Amino acid sequence: MALLEIRDIHTYYGAIHALRGVTMSVEEGEIVTLIGSNGAGKSTTLRTISGLLRPRQGEIHLRGKRIDGLRPHEIVELGVCQSPEGRRVFARMTVHENLEMGAFSRREKVPTADYDRVYDLFPRLRERTAQRAGTLSGGEQQMLAIGRALMSAPKVLLLDEPSMGLAPILVEQIFTIIKTINESGTTVLLVEQNALMALGIANRGYILQSGEIVLTDTAAVLAGNEAVQRAYLGGD
Amino acid sequence: MSASSRPIQPGIVGWLTHLVSSALNLPGAYRRELERRRGRTLAMTILAVFAMAYPVLNRLYFQPFSRNVFPLPFPEDAVVTFMMIFGIMAIGLNIVAGFAGLLDLGYVAFYAFGAYTAAFLASPHFGSVSVVLFSNTIQGFPGIHFPFWMLVPLAMITAATFGVLLGAPTLRLRGDYLAIVTLGFGEIVPVVFKNLAAVNFDFGPIHLVNANLTGGNLGINPIDAPHFFGIKFGSSSGIAAVYLGMILLVGAILTARNLERSRMGRAWIAIREDEVAAEMMGINTVRTKLLAFGLGASFAGVAGVFQASYQGLTTSDFFTFATSILVLIMVILGGIGNIWGVLVGALVLVFVDKTFLPWLGLRFTEISPDLPNPSQFNFLIFGVLLVAMMRFRPEGFIPSRQRAAELHHAPPGQAIGAAATMGDAAIAGEEAVEELAAEQEAIATADEAAEVIDIEGPPGDAPGRAGT
Repeated sequence: MALLEIRDIHTYYGAIHALRGVTMSVEEGEIVTLIGSNGAGKSTTLRTISGLLRPRQGEIHLRGKRIDGLRPHEIVELGVCQSPEGRRVFARMTVHENLEMGAFSRREKVPTADYDRVYDLFPRLRERTAQRAGTLSGGEQQMLAIGRALMSAPKVLLLDEPSMGLAPILVEQIFTIIKTINESGTTVLLVEQNALMALGIANRGYILQSGEIVLTDTAAVLAGNEAVQRAYLGGD
Repeated sequence: MSASSRPIQPGIVGWLTHLVSSALNLPGAYRRELERRRGRTLAMTILAVFAMAYPVLNRLYFQPFSRNVFPLPFPEDAVVTFMMIFGIMAIGLNIVAGFAGLLDLGYVAFYAFGAYTAAFLASPHFGSVSVVLFSNTIQGFPGIHFPFWMLVPLAMITAATFGVLLGAPTLRLRGDYLAIVTLGFGEIVPVVFKNLAAVNFDFGPIHLVNANLTGGNLGINPIDAPHFFGIKFGSSSGIAAVYLGMILLVGAILTARNLERSRMGRAWIAIREDEVAAEMMGINTVRTKLLAFGLGASFAGVAGVFQASYQGLTTSDFFTFATSILVLIMVILGGIGNIWGVLVGALVLVFVDKTFLPWLGLRFTEISPDLPNPSQFNFLIFGVLLVAMMRFRPEGFIPSRQRAAELHHAPPGQAIGAAATMGDAAIAGEEAVEELAAEQEAIATADEAAEVIDIEGPPGDAPGRAGT
């Protein structure tokens, strides 16, 4: 059984048919990437999984349990947490308070080891625990957004455009860390415009175009696919 | 983060543990605070002692001085009591508007629910029945007579229930729409109380013929004064009522402070900052906002019960839109989001409204009877004050750390660390040294500057990004 399974979901923004039957699955331990251009429906897919949007049709299952139609907070409690597009850290809270908010869905006392894990992944954040998140640089905010999502101890981590607006060297760093997070046992669904980098660390990929999955394969095959290269990798 | 601001674990056990441990820690915490910020702590201590001694000092020295030697605007017992009442309301509205960021323009409705709870349950109004419960009223006396200590929780429950009832359908609305709906609610409630004076109703087991439920224009009186240990705490009992008000206010402060530090309080602040992000972190935003509304309303319920019991009467005329606005001005002037700020706002505004302006009016008439009476222009003065405040210090007298950052600096997500940190440091005072150190660190790191540029450039420019 797939950890996360999405079957034929249709999501609308008012009258706009944004997702036209997206079907995909994420297996335990994988990094799966969802690639597509601006407006293809990548973020819409993640928002539908998180419960922020409701699909008009289709089903979403987490380990066989149906989660579409649940409220966002219930979905987080079941182990699906999202690092949103544009980071959306709580700007006037400190770095540490942001991480505490990330652990909000956990009712038990959060062990310090969990904070340490995030700080070990992102040593830059450890140096800035008491600093207001809004005063962090873009790269640090992205780290914080990922770390905050990790604090909910998710089974599946949804990452929405973690490379957006970052300098190339930082993008590389972030992707290395995503790989590390995955290796320590967290399944990752990664939405990216930066197809080259995403396919570089993913096991499998889906190509989304105008709200539909047009292609899916292992990351290596997709990276070698001519059409994909032309459309998303800037190759010729 | 100091140990005192540790979050409270959820559940009743968590709260009780917190209460006990805070009480046990009190002497130690005070000593630590004294070491850490000596001047401030001493000043606060003196202020607190003075506040507690004020009613006595006022009666023994200030009022006689004002009468016989030189007229000075010392607030009388009734004014101080109203300071307490409005302090409780400002602290309650601060939960709704300050912590959770929900603009409530009809807060006075909950004050009315509190007042009418007392009016219904502690007066001879329903004279055809006689229910005397734990009260000093003689058994068999007409009307319903509940003691004050029962009215307070009942009013809290009533106000909170109506808060939730109002909130449930409306909290999905955002910003302006919520303000309009609450404004309407605040207008409707007093009108309903005014008009339920001759009710004809016949449905099922309920038969009402020309029933006077709320006293109409005249309102309901007399309402029983609060009564403990054989002492009355009504308007005729002067100092005693002031102290009862102080006790209620201290209760309100402690409750609000604990709420702010609880799991719920953190969720409120997260929602105010970014509702979508809060939702993504697993916060049940609807429930959290409803609780803010309900809990905020319950504070007004307490204020209402105390007002009605203290004055011994209530009419719907007390609950005008102006009162809602007055409380909102207290919250904004004092420093929205900061409990001490809104408290100061309430104390100052009641003082200006009920003591200072009348005093000024008297001085004016001494000079010439033709001069205008400033009390008539109270809302004009508050308006000017508000505009001036918005221009020069929009975060209020005593701002909350987060609100100050919001009002003075760029929207979230922009990496303008230096300016934001500096502005806050100036406000935060003691925190300045740490903050500035962090800020210099931020500037020093060169690659961060590169990122800032990157964010502001068009996204397509970043190398390595595939065609979009």
